[in-house]
Amino acid sequence: MASTSCSVKVAGETGLALAKSSLPPPRPKSPPPYPDLYGKRREAARVQMLEREIGFLEAKIKFVEGLQPSSRCCKEVSDFVVANSDPMIPAQRKSRRHCRFWKWLCFPCLSVASFCCCCRSECSCHLRKPKCCNSTCCSCVGSKCFNGSCCSNSCCCPKPSCPKCLSCPSCSCFRGCCCSCPDLCCCIPTCFRSCSRPSCLNKKSSCCSCNCNCKIKWSSCFKCPKLRLCCCFCNCKNTCSNPCCLAF
Amino acid sequence: MSVSELKERHAVATETVNNLRDRLQQRRLQLLDTDVAKYSAAQGRSPVKFGATDLVCCRTLQGHTGKVYSLDWTPERNRIVSASQDGRLIVWNALTSQKTHAIKLPCAWVMTCAFSPNGQTVACGGLDSVCSIFSLSSTADKDGTVPVSRMLSGHRGYVSCCQYVPNEDARLITSSGDQTCVLWDVTTGLKTSVFGGEFQSGHTADVISVSISGSNPNWFISGSCDTTTRLWDTRAASRAVRTFHGHEGDVNTVKFFPDGNRFGTGSDDGTCRLYDIRTGHQLQVYQPHGDGENVPVTSIAFSASGRLLFAGYANNNACYVWDTLLGEIVLDLGELQDSHKNRISCLGMSADGSALCTGSWDSNLKIWAFGGHRRVI
Repeated sequence: MASTSCSVKVAGETGLALAKSSLPPPRPKSPPPYPDLYGKRREAARVQMLEREIGFLEAKIKFVEGLQPSSRCCKEVSDFVVANSDPMIPAQRKSRRHCRFWKWLCFPCLSVASFCCCCRSECSCHLRKPKCCNSTCCSCVGSKCFNGSCCSNSCCCPKPSCPKCLSCPSCSCFRGCCCSCPDLCCCIPTCFRSCSRPSCLNKKSSCCSCNCNCKIKWSSCFKCPKLRLCCCFCNCKNTCSNPCCLAF
Repeated sequence: MSVSELKERHAVATETVNNLRDRLQQRRLQLLDTDVAKYSAAQGRSPVKFGATDLVCCRTLQGHTGKVYSLDWTPERNRIVSASQDGRLIVWNALTSQKTHAIKLPCAWVMTCAFSPNGQTVACGGLDSVCSIFSLSSTADKDGTVPVSRMLSGHRGYVSCCQYVPNEDARLITSSGDQTCVLWDVTTGLKTSVFGGEFQSGHTADVISVSISGSNPNWFISGSCDTTTRLWDTRAASRAVRTFHGHEGDVNTVKFFPDGNRFGTGSDDGTCRLYDIRTGHQLQVYQPHGDGENVPVTSIAFSASGRLLFAGYANNNACYVWDTLLGEIVLDLGELQDSHKNRISCLGMSADGSALCTGSWDSNLKIWAFGGHRRVI
């Protein structure tokens, strides 16, 4: 009996000691490395798109091999144009009709053909005869009249202004007429609100384009068409608000 | 297959694509043995010559209080609808210059408008990403507000251009800043097809303009800020039939040539170009001479025979008239009497080819017609 209790006791003590010594200390493991399925699938999708593109390109090359040269297309264009009449083009026609045939089309001016109304003094429609200037109409030096009557206005082109050009040489006139700014002129556009400062991306044109990194999260409300200046501000409460008024 | 093997395959496929594209481009260049101007000059075509009073401004349509952005003629009965920054659509009788409707829009930032083939409805779209349809038989309140009869919603970007399918009042195509074009069923207000977009091969930047073929209404072309023009077949939206390269800037405007087998484009690179639909050939480049910066082309229109190409530019009030066969500028509407005072933003030829309407940032529209004397022998 005593041994039992003793053994129990001992067993109990022994069990506890055993419990203490047999279980290893807890060692939490790192989560198992999951395969990057998303990256693999994305890469597979890209490869699939490229292989599809290869198929399309091979089909295009096969198509192009059988094409006629552009001269045949040019002939078709030319033949079509010559074969069709055109109300907007001055034409010389053989006709027994007197030139005064067109007068009745001019009056009354409520018919479609009134668009063809002439500007001669005998025409009774209400079009104004365009003014023909005299030989001294143009104020530019060296301008001349052509066709014996009206001057060309192209000889009096105003100098374009480059208000935001930096370090640009002054605009100069060429051919005695129209002026332009040199290609190296870099016009810095204005950034709107919290847009980052733009950088000159396109060196070909006179003015730099704006590369805007909009920080405001609701700047993606809608996209501004033909964006040339940074427009990052957007009021999403009113979908019709237009922050792009500078370019639109 | 492991990721590294996939990456290797990706590199090989990319090189193959680049090589094929080079081969394609080389082959195309070999087929360009001439252009329209050289061919026509060799044929001895006479140039078009305009006298000082041959093309005149017959009408000035005044009424908008803001920049005019878009216009469209009816196929008949000579009415015009125009859209302006003032937030209104105005319908004009082009012969009498009278306004028949002035519709105040729910969203003022409109970019495009179009007449339905039967002339009974007008469509418009803009920054609100919606194409709105208005019935001209609806009664407007004293403010000019006409109820919207249908809203075509679904674009995720601004609506840049819209056009009804010829002879079909229930179908309309829009282009959008979300890089897609959509064919709509106006009756239900639902999309019939989407051209391009996230899961399909299409434009990779904003689409700015569309033009539907008059001879084959299943075909339309779209011009985009990705510098390409694409030909689409409405019966197969998954991929463009053909992609046309060449421009070096945004393609702002596209229009079919009168024969339906060619089309013209206008771009930010300052050029207009003529392409062949069936072969993909670039047939002609129309580039103004001069040492100045290339001025973007805002809009184009062909005359009835295709001999003249009218092109509006983004500087002052220039509107060059090109002889399409000889590739020369024969007239500048901006230099004529009563010309616009600001940029011409939109152009449209009447259905019978007898008149051209121009819309401008000076808030006016003008109608131009042949006012010269046709010499008869």
